[in-house]
Amino acid sequence: MEFHVAGVTVNPLFLVGIGFLVGILGGFFGVGGGFIAGPMMFWVGVPMHFVVGTDLAHMTGKSIVAAKRHRALGHVDIKLGLIMVLSTIAGVELGARIIEALKTTGNLDVVIGSVYVIILLIISGFTAWESLRALRMIRTDSLDIKDAVGFKGIAQRVHGIKLWPMISFPASGIASISLWIVLAVGFITGLLAGSLGVGGGFIRMPLLVYAVGIPTHVAVGTDLFEIMFSSGYGMLTHAIKGNVDVLMALVMHTGAAIGAQIGAVSTRFFIGPRIRLLFSILPLIGALLVLARLMNGAVTHF
Amino acid sequence: MNTKNPRNNANIKRIFLTLTIELSLYAVLVVAYFLIVLRLLNGILTRLFQSDLVTYAILGLGLVVTQGVLLEWVTSFILNRLKVERVE
Repeated sequence: MEFHVAGVTVNPLFLVGIGFLVGILGGFFGVGGGFIAGPMMFWVGVPMHFVVGTDLAHMTGKSIVAAKRHRALGHVDIKLGLIMVLSTIAGVELGARIIEALKTTGNLDVVIGSVYVIILLIISGFTAWESLRALRMIRTDSLDIKDAVGFKGIAQRVHGIKLWPMISFPASGIASISLWIVLAVGFITGLLAGSLGVGGGFIRMPLLVYAVGIPTHVAVGTDLFEIMFSSGYGMLTHAIKGNVDVLMALVMHTGAAIGAQIGAVSTRFFIGPRIRLLFSILPLIGALLVLARLMNGAVTHF
Repeated sequence: MNTKNPRNNANIKRIFLTLTIELSLYAVLVVAYFLIVLRLLNGILTRLFQSDLVTYAILGLGLVVTQGVLLEWVTSFILNRLKVERVE
């Protein structure tokens, strides 16, 4: 089927399949799934600026449903989420303007593709290493699986930064942390969302767990809450700049709605480090898809 | 989760039963919606994209949010009518 706005021909069932996959990821890992949906869209020939905008658009609808479910489970720290929204939106806007600048220079595919690959490989390697380390800690020290975070020292050091104003997040068990740390987490993930078309969950979730020090299940829910706003604003600003194929996003979302159901239920059977170990494989797949398209330039048709 | 506990086994069965019903309902709704969207919106959205990007952006956001909320709401409504306990 031809999607006239993006100017590409893609099988809509393939798009539903992408949506279904990222729906599961959203419900299960608390991430928007853009880091895998984006590379898959790029792989089948969608231009990079439409990948970025359309990815954000389809995540908007999906994250509302997933965030609502996690809110019902008590997994969302509303105060933390609302504060982060402010800097996230600033980051998204800057990211969208970077895309516009790259569009005019004609280097968009290579630059954003390369950034995708580098970030995805780093995230995959780091998360796998940390999860295995945490699982070893559980086996050797009889540590409670829910408390196992391989880099607990990082969060303690971050909490030690006494840069005024300090703020507390009782719902996440944080007595005191600098507001600037929270705003920085929001801005960095917003920048990635606006420039790569991802919800930012694949970087925000590790940052919330390792740097801010909130429990994994709260990080999952709060991240989805945050994605609702970052992807919503990102979609709007990218659509105005002509980077969104709404029809493509709607088709993808039909699959995501079903996938989110499965993902949310699946979290009952996996906890703590095991979730993070599974999570580490996904960015690797995304990186390989982008590399495949960048290296041979060929588009895979479905 | 301890699957040797009969209570847990019953719980797992209940979760999967509810999920199966819910997914079936979703699938029917999604296929119907999918066909409507493909047939009706393609031309409208393409024309709007070419003529007025701000309206296109606002309508697009509205459509995406409405679709997300509507699919969730309709499924919950049908499950309530069927008196099936929801998986939350």
